[in-house]
Amino acid sequence: MMPIWTKSGEKHAVTLLKVQDCHVLRYVSKEESGGKTAKLLVGGKNVSPFSKPESAHEIFKEAGVPRKQKVSTFNVTDDAIIKPGTPLYAAHFRPGQFVDVTAKTIGKGFQGVMKRWGFKGQPASHGQTKTHRRPGAISTNQAAKVYRGKKMPGKMGNIYRTSFGLKVWRINTKHDIIYVNGSVPGHTNCLVKVRDSKLPTYKDCNKNPPFPTFFADGDEELPEDLFDEEIFQFTDPSVTFA
Amino acid sequence: RVSSDGKPPKFQPPPKPVIIDRKTQKEERRFLSPEFIPPRGRTDPLKYYMERKDMIQRRKVFNIPEFYVGHVLAVTTADPCASDKSKRFVGICIQRGGKGLGATFVLRNVIEEQGVEICYELYSPRIQAIEVLKLEKRLDENLMYLRDALPEYSTFDVNMRPVPRMAHEEIPVNKLQVRMKPKPWSKRWERPKYNIKGIKFELPEHKMKAAQKWSQPWLEFDMLREYDTSKIEEKIRKELSEELEK
Repeated sequence: MMPIWTKSGEKHAVTLLKVQDCHVLRYVSKEESGGKTAKLLVGGKNVSPFSKPESAHEIFKEAGVPRKQKVSTFNVTDDAIIKPGTPLYAAHFRPGQFVDVTAKTIGKGFQGVMKRWGFKGQPASHGQTKTHRRPGAISTNQAAKVYRGKKMPGKMGNIYRTSFGLKVWRINTKHDIIYVNGSVPGHTNCLVKVRDSKLPTYKDCNKNPPFPTFFADGDEELPEDLFDEEIFQFTDPSVTFA
Repeated sequence: RVSSDGKPPKFQPPPKPVIIDRKTQKEERRFLSPEFIPPRGRTDPLKYYMERKDMIQRRKVFNIPEFYVGHVLAVTTADPCASDKSKRFVGICIQRGGKGLGATFVLRNVIEEQGVEICYELYSPRIQAIEVLKLEKRLDENLMYLRDALPEYSTFDVNMRPVPRMAHEEIPVNKLQVRMKPKPWSKRWERPKYNIKGIKFELPEHKMKAAQKWSQPWLEFDMLREYDTSKIEEKIRKELSEELEK
């Protein structure tokens, strides 16, 4: 995470996400998948093919691509279908877009009720016998049972969570890095799924994005760094208020 | 050898030995700002490379002078609420923290008998000028104990003129021993974990001995805590000098 300053001098924290060897693996049509839209399987980071059996390599062989560590699905409209085997780059997103980021949260192991659910526990003194971090009562007398889903101690973390509506501040096309506002679930160097935002406020926010995606062998030549309009670029002199 | 006239050849004194003083040549002072050195961790070095590119870009446009803890600096920042739209603050640098673009430094001064500390970010675009008024290093890297010292040690004249630098050589180390206010202090500065050499402790002997109970003499031999930055520093210095010359 890194600080970023706007032209008015305000500071925002930004997370760097690297797009590493992303390829489209397979196209699943609407009827096949049984959902409302067609799906595209996309694979991330390259990994050695020797740790999995040959049967697991079929998808990758069809697309002509080395084995990927993570495969995720994206719901796609019919006009945005991409041929399997095309590489995806960071330039698929543009600064000023809004994005949802999904990842597995940091695993905390088996945790008690105070850390996992934020219970208040009991006082440290004034006669408490062996009760300082316990949940206390778990149900009422009349219920005569414990309800399903009762908050209790258990394994915490290591589940998929999404941060919604994160602004993209900057894109580096040379190293394929996306600078995304705020924090993102997961530990450093973990695998992350980045998707156009589904929030209703940002439905019409994408101004002319590359559709269906940015093709590297096309005619467009992008500069190395793409900035949002509000970012203070370090090539400018210091900010002054008129 | 036979000379032309038959006389013995003219005495030629042996050439004077050229003494190459290797020691003074090696001590060329090369300052690397501490925020360039990446901390120890499992982050991808590409992240530090991208940050360094931004830092170098900022340094090309805006001059960040070389300074250590103990220097007296004057910082002008842009402020929308001030009448001149800019604010100037003079103070002694107490500590330098943070790595990368978020590097900060804290300036302390006593204005109208009220101690004031301001934490500035080195790479913030609001900063318009940083001037070094007085160059002097102190015995410690962290001067937070000035909060518990007598206020005269933290007062600096706001309209102080910059002291001219003697020669482009070593920065003088001020071996000043600061006198403290009576206890209690904000932190127990006599304990060995802070390792402070710049205070004149006027505490009784038995209290100084009792403070040594908290010493951890095994820490300096702990090999897992070793972080050798010499090679990393060399690479970064090379990168910096190449980029700044462009």
